[in-house]
Amino acid sequence: MDWTEQHVRRLFWRAGFGATPEEATHWAAAGRKATLRWVLDGTPGAKLAGPAPVVNGKPLDPLNEWGHDGLWWIDRMIRSPRPLVEKLTLFWHDHFATADQDTPLMLAQNRMLRRYGLGRFRALLGHVARDPAMQLFLSLTDNDKDAPNENFARELMELFTLASGYTERDIREAARALTGWQGKWDDNGFHGIVYVADRHDSGIKRVLGKRGRLGTDDVLDLVCAHPRHAPYLTRKLWDFFVTRPPDAATARRLVAVYRAGGGHVKPVVAEILGHPLLYADLDAPDMVKAPVVLLAGHLRTAGAGITTDSYTWLLSLMGQQLFSPPSVAGWEWGPAWLTTNSVGARFTLANYLLRADADSPGPLPVPDGTGDPKLTAADQVDTALDALGRPWISASSRQTLVDLAAGFYADLVKPWEIKTKPQRADMLQRVLRHLVLTGPDAHLH
Amino acid sequence: MPRHSVHRACDDFHQTAAAITRRQLIGRSLAAGVTAYMATNTPLRSVLEAAEASAAGAPGAPVLVSVFLPGGCDLLSTLSPTDQGGRLADLRGKLVLPSTPTLPGESRLVAHPALSEGLNGGIAGLFGQGKVGFLPGIDYANPDLSHFHSRHFWETGLITAKDSPGWLGRWLDRHGSAENPLQAVSVDGGLSPVLRTATAPVAAVSSPDDAQMWIAGTWGKASDMGLGAWDRLAARPVSDRPGPRAAATASRLTKSVADTLGQYRSVDNQPVAQLVPRVAYPENSDFADSLKSLAGMLDLPLGIRLATVEAPGDFDTHDNQPEDLGKALTDVSTALAAFQADLEARGSADRVLTFVWSEFGRRPEANDSDGTDHGAGGVAWVQGTRARGGILSDFPALDQLDGEGNLAVTMDFRRVYCSLIEQWLGTDAAEVIPNAAAFGRVALVR
Repeated sequence: MDWTEQHVRRLFWRAGFGATPEEATHWAAAGRKATLRWVLDGTPGAKLAGPAPVVNGKPLDPLNEWGHDGLWWIDRMIRSPRPLVEKLTLFWHDHFATADQDTPLMLAQNRMLRRYGLGRFRALLGHVARDPAMQLFLSLTDNDKDAPNENFARELMELFTLASGYTERDIREAARALTGWQGKWDDNGFHGIVYVADRHDSGIKRVLGKRGRLGTDDVLDLVCAHPRHAPYLTRKLWDFFVTRPPDAATARRLVAVYRAGGGHVKPVVAEILGHPLLYADLDAPDMVKAPVVLLAGHLRTAGAGITTDSYTWLLSLMGQQLFSPPSVAGWEWGPAWLTTNSVGARFTLANYLLRADADSPGPLPVPDGTGDPKLTAADQVDTALDALGRPWISASSRQTLVDLAAGFYADLVKPWEIKTKPQRADMLQRVLRHLVLTGPDAHLH
Repeated sequence: MPRHSVHRACDDFHQTAAAITRRQLIGRSLAAGVTAYMATNTPLRSVLEAAEASAAGAPGAPVLVSVFLPGGCDLLSTLSPTDQGGRLADLRGKLVLPSTPTLPGESRLVAHPALSEGLNGGIAGLFGQGKVGFLPGIDYANPDLSHFHSRHFWETGLITAKDSPGWLGRWLDRHGSAENPLQAVSVDGGLSPVLRTATAPVAAVSSPDDAQMWIAGTWGKASDMGLGAWDRLAARPVSDRPGPRAAATASRLTKSVADTLGQYRSVDNQPVAQLVPRVAYPENSDFADSLKSLAGMLDLPLGIRLATVEAPGDFDTHDNQPEDLGKALTDVSTALAAFQADLEARGSADRVLTFVWSEFGRRPEANDSDGTDHGAGGVAWVQGTRARGGILSDFPALDQLDGEGNLAVTMDFRRVYCSLIEQWLGTDAAEVIPNAAAFGRVALVR
């Protein structure tokens, strides 16, 4: 397989949040193997790099300021030396979608997903099943032997591990096996989860064909050993990174890799990231960026940091508020991200990225005096692209922008006005950069 | 990742996250400062486009509003039989509703007290006026108790896991405009899968004020030229794959909607006359805000034929049902009662029919968390001055539960869809619902 800057950009977008021009150049020269190794393993000891987030003159306060929890995570997406880890954490946040719990619990879950996300799935699932935010969200703490609550048992099978191959009876019996957990509360609030043997139904259950005095870990073992599990999980991972479906041989290979690796996630991800289908259509990207990927990508590829908490409500309008997925099934990914409302919000986002007011400048400001009226139309477009970290635009989009710049000059900047109306060159740069950040191409990676 | 879409979470326990309303969000945006500029300095583009054309072509065309109660609304706590007291108490314990009559003229059923909240006695008051027809026991045979499967079936009108346009989207593909995205609007953020089409344009739009495109630091002709280039950028997708097609289409429609709605934006924070509500809506409710905005937009010549709104709240009441369901039904009743009163005050009520639904019902026997697990035989209703009032389907008998302990299904939701299409939208249901003849019909409109 060829290995060019385009390949690097594709890999870095799908496995993370885009590549800076320097990264594209560096890793194209380093070769495919070294690049994949770095994406998967990172550089030992590397720390967050880039401008630290500053909002209203202060660092972020994820525990106390509304919306700063999400910004804290987006900052990691922008500055992490292991973007794949953040991308996988986003995958798991969607897969094990949890919402509306206290911020400390949500942040603890986030740390857990980050720590175990590339390891053995069964281990991750064990942590998820014991995670306070999850237990509260899916009523596991209310699942008592005298009246089993099916909420967690159902989603465990339907969404977390299998999607098919089980019955209503399996759900009911699994709910019995999952009894025993209890939240500890007092007047000061929540104090963690405990296992209370007396709340556990110690009777015989039959789950997925296995009979016995089953408990929580037995059920987790059973769903992970079920023949439908490996095809389901590996396909879901594939769909997170690649838009085209895997051919039958690839699908089998992913399952084999998963099973041979003892149910580890990383070898499957490595297989997917190296697959030729991930690099299809390099001239015409076809995966729609999720809102947080769009925002983190704009900032990461341009070397900019978080400077405003307006991103919180903008992301909400775009349809993706971190730590608040719309349901236990997570977000609907792909073309569904793009509606007349959400594209409008993406358009407005660019005003916050490009704004140049002295009191609250955006991360990619276009202040007065930015434009150079002497540049050719093509150079105007290149200037705009350079300022934004050289994001991909199609050849026809580029031509449209060059035509715009040429027409702009013919129409607006008369030769005798160049010196007296310099703001028009500024306006051209604002228009060009806005269109690059918000036009149809900007939504694709 | 293709996904069947979503429901509000099974999260009825311990709500603590700070909520911020959409209104607050908008208030903090740049929008406020931008509005006046757009309204006064932008030359009106050729706005008498598809929207006005389709509105002018059929000014009194019927409008169907779909209101979704996400999570699976419990029938027995929404409507409860008065003649099965002991049996109900055995199943429900303290979830049993008070037996005080709440539905004027109806002695066999009581409604949740929250449904009496709101203008003119809320939903129960509208029932008393013959403007609400309840459909207890609505579901489909061999119901699937997964939120996602069941919701997908209701959204598409097909009992299949296959991807498909929504049932109203298919109606649009056949009978809608090929030009006007405002013919079908989701008024609450995302686009409802019910409205997903194969070809016809549709829109997600919350209000004219929200639908605008403005490039900061530019004005006059420079701004116009930039937005003109937008149309050319969106003219052709970079490839025929779904992502690029969605990017081009959504970009094109976003501008078209912004252009069309541009003339109806507020000026100096004053909404245009048609968008001023005629009654007081509940405050601090995104759901009420959506319905308020919709009632106003229905008074504009936009050609809206279909609209969807998703209710807030936790109908997925696995625990804490008395409190959570009471709050959720209060929100629904107060907002929908205001919406109905507003339409009537505006004189548009006779052309608007509202259909309220949820993806399934809940188990008759309560669990031990003061809640109920997923079940069958749910509840829906039609609402409007031209809705047929009353109890329009048989109430499932509590002594005849199915093998899984669930309520019997007494009304197939596809029978309701077929009836809505024929009696309200006035077209042949068989074009949209496969095997339509087999479902029979129920009178929903008078």
